[in-house]
Amino acid sequence: MAAKLLSALALALLLPVFALAQGSIPQQLIWQPGALKPTDSTLKVAVGDKAPDFDLPGIDGKRVRLSDYLGKKNVVLSFVPAAWTPVCSGQWPGYNLARDVFDGRDAQLIGVSCDNLPSLNAWVVEMGGVWFPVASDFWPHGGLASKLGILRPDGVSERALFVIDKKGIIRYIDVHDINTRPDLGQLAKALDALK
Amino acid sequence: MKALALSLVLALSVLAHSQALAAQASESPFMKPLPAGQAFPDLTFPSPISDKEAQDLGAGSGGKPVRLADVKAQAVIFVVYSMYCPFCQREAPELNKLHALIKSRGLSDNLKLVGMGAGNSPFEVNVFREKFSTPFTLLSDQDFNAYKALGQVGTPYFYVLKRQGNGFVIADGQLGCMTSAEAFLDGVVEKTGLPKGK
Repeated sequence: MAAKLLSALALALLLPVFALAQGSIPQQLIWQPGALKPTDSTLKVAVGDKAPDFDLPGIDGKRVRLSDYLGKKNVVLSFVPAAWTPVCSGQWPGYNLARDVFDGRDAQLIGVSCDNLPSLNAWVVEMGGVWFPVASDFWPHGGLASKLGILRPDGVSERALFVIDKKGIIRYIDVHDINTRPDLGQLAKALDALK
Repeated sequence: MKALALSLVLALSVLAHSQALAAQASESPFMKPLPAGQAFPDLTFPSPISDKEAQDLGAGSGGKPVRLADVKAQAVIFVVYSMYCPFCQREAPELNKLHALIKSRGLSDNLKLVGMGAGNSPFEVNVFREKFSTPFTLLSDQDFNAYKALGQVGTPYFYVLKRQGNGFVIADGQLGCMTSAEAFLDGVVEKTGLPKGK
């Protein structure tokens, strides 16, 4: 009985900590890469091309496939260079708040990075989780990023957005300056243009 | 033994709480906040404000940029936030409460609450505004220009400003979420020398 009480008390006391910890990554866990070359790769696809199909492992244990969305939903691929880095650690929590922007435009957001699954998962859990599927393009390393032409020589992807319509055609590409966050307004405009 | 375990749990919990409380902000490694006593930079926000915001601020006009120094008030609570900051997302309802308190205490004519989305485009500011039905003015600082002038602070960051001549001077600064809107407002009134209100 006493043990039960004790564990209940301990849980109650610790609960607010978890609540507070959710949603933001402590600064000491964020790697500061300094200013990087804005882009460092050459695109291999263009607006109007058919998007390459992909079949990647997701952090929820399911596969993430483009073919699952064809004919049903527009797809937004959000590539981020690496888990545990500054800009990325803000970009996806922002998309968390902006779910309506995607839902309201009949689009499914998919997050991708070239990190391996365990690291990617730990990072997303630390930021409090996200509502959209997160896929790892770790092996063969940067396979999808490479097909799209956004794999940088150091093995991370560009910070890039691809909008793929329901027919599987690439309709918008933003290979962004890796050091800065793309404006959500531009992406929303690109999705509006699909209607 | 049990007593020992209990005190251990208590001690650990207090420690963990204080660490969590200390970090109720998306921190910035480059943060150099402007100190109290310094004049607040004379900022003009290039994105047009709405008619309602112009009315709220008593400055500028709808569809035009606004200059902060023109805001008609004795004091301003200037919140540096971001749509992308989870702490700011969580703080949003408390800010709405703070706005309501300013009104219910009859301070609205003397004290304005203004938010600035660091690096947020007008679209992103609007996502935040709509999500939380924010009733006070939110300004866009898409290019981080104002953010840089304000010391690249973590978010949310509260600059408490009081009127000095044609501009404002910094009365206080605080990184991280408010513990309570009531207590925070009491502190603002004290530091800016405003009449206490109702």
